[in-house]
Amino acid sequence: MAGSRLERIGTIYSRTAGLIQSGALNWADRPLWYDIYEAFPPKEEPRYDRPAPNMKLKQIFYKEDRIRAMFHRNNKHIGATNMFNHNYKTLTQRFIDTYQKVEQQYAGNATEEQIYKEAIGILKSEFESKKEKAAVEHEEESVSLSSQFRQAQSALDAQAKSKINLDVGDIFKN
Amino acid sequence: MKLCTNILRPLVRPSYTSVKYSTVPAAQDKVVEATKNQDILSHPDYFNVHNLFTVKDLFDARVHYGHKEGSLNQRMLPYIYGSRLGHTIFDLNITAEYLRLALNVAAHIAYRDGLILFFLRGAQNAHLVEQTAKECGEFAHTRFWRGGIFTNANTQFGAVTRLPDLCIFFNTLNNVLIQHTAVRDSAKMGITTIGIVDSNCNPNLITYPVPGNDDSPAAIALYCKLFKNAILRGKEKRKEHFNEK
Repeated sequence: MAGSRLERIGTIYSRTAGLIQSGALNWADRPLWYDIYEAFPPKEEPRYDRPAPNMKLKQIFYKEDRIRAMFHRNNKHIGATNMFNHNYKTLTQRFIDTYQKVEQQYAGNATEEQIYKEAIGILKSEFESKKEKAAVEHEEESVSLSSQFRQAQSALDAQAKSKINLDVGDIFKN
Repeated sequence: MKLCTNILRPLVRPSYTSVKYSTVPAAQDKVVEATKNQDILSHPDYFNVHNLFTVKDLFDARVHYGHKEGSLNQRMLPYIYGSRLGHTIFDLNITAEYLRLALNVAAHIAYRDGLILFFLRGAQNAHLVEQTAKECGEFAHTRFWRGGIFTNANTQFGAVTRLPDLCIFFNTLNNVLIQHTAVRDSAKMGITTIGIVDSNCNPNLITYPVPGNDDSPAAIALYCKLFKNAILRGKEKRKEHFNEK
């Protein structure tokens, strides 16, 4: 079958169309993709020599990046975050939220440092209260668990004692 | 060698010869077939591939992550949303548009009983791609590409060889980060290509490029699933239409 292997000239479509037009290739023998290409042409011509567009790479920044930077500048050891877990907000995100809340309360009458300190204070107190709560819960739970365990163990022991009334002498009788 | 010989398929598939795709009616009884064929092609999304995925799915599969700014290929700029602290981020709206076009083309090729060959270099996801190809009854080449598999096929395989009609590249680079030779060879042999092009790839020779991350296993798994479903939809419709007669 006729073909053109000059992949740097034109596109696969233009080369095949040229072969068909010149009669080197029969219309009936055209490649399977030919009609599909005509019906759904690519958005850009797949030419080898298509020049790179004259564009600039945009830098992505958000308004809250200032707050984020401030938080990370002052707190170097925050620890790892699991980015696959969407159930809770990351520490940085929680700080940004509190910071913005505090900033709104002051309505522009406070310096960045003031807002920062207050937001950190709120986060810390939140953390402490959560810790206390967790500790209390943990204690209660452990007490109940251990007592349950002891109960279950003693019940088992009693059962075992009542079941086994075997004499060693009986085993060696025969 | 075993994988390469997969390209050798019977030159004539059953029912391949009985189907005329020509839009020019040769005889009177072919007119119906031709108009139906034309209907399928004039439909913007005949196989309904647009509902295979959402932009959220792309985001969850980490398709938007590009490479570092330094390795950026300038030709990828129109597909990139921007650079976040040195890492390029793809514009998923553009990716979705290109991916839907590519899926549509894949489904059309499958509908016309075209041979489809999947490519991926990189051991991590190679098995997944081979498995995908198996599941949709097509072929995969994920190993070292010996030169001339396409361009010198008749000599290499010792027989007249039917080349694939569509090559789908899940990454267009080989192990040493230069373009896969099969991209050039496909263009040489007049084979359409679909390729996932990352921010360090050259999209020029790919017929239907899809900008997106080509390294994450999650992204590759998503592409595999999408292309498999698109191809299966094409094949299903084919079964439906050609069993009717």
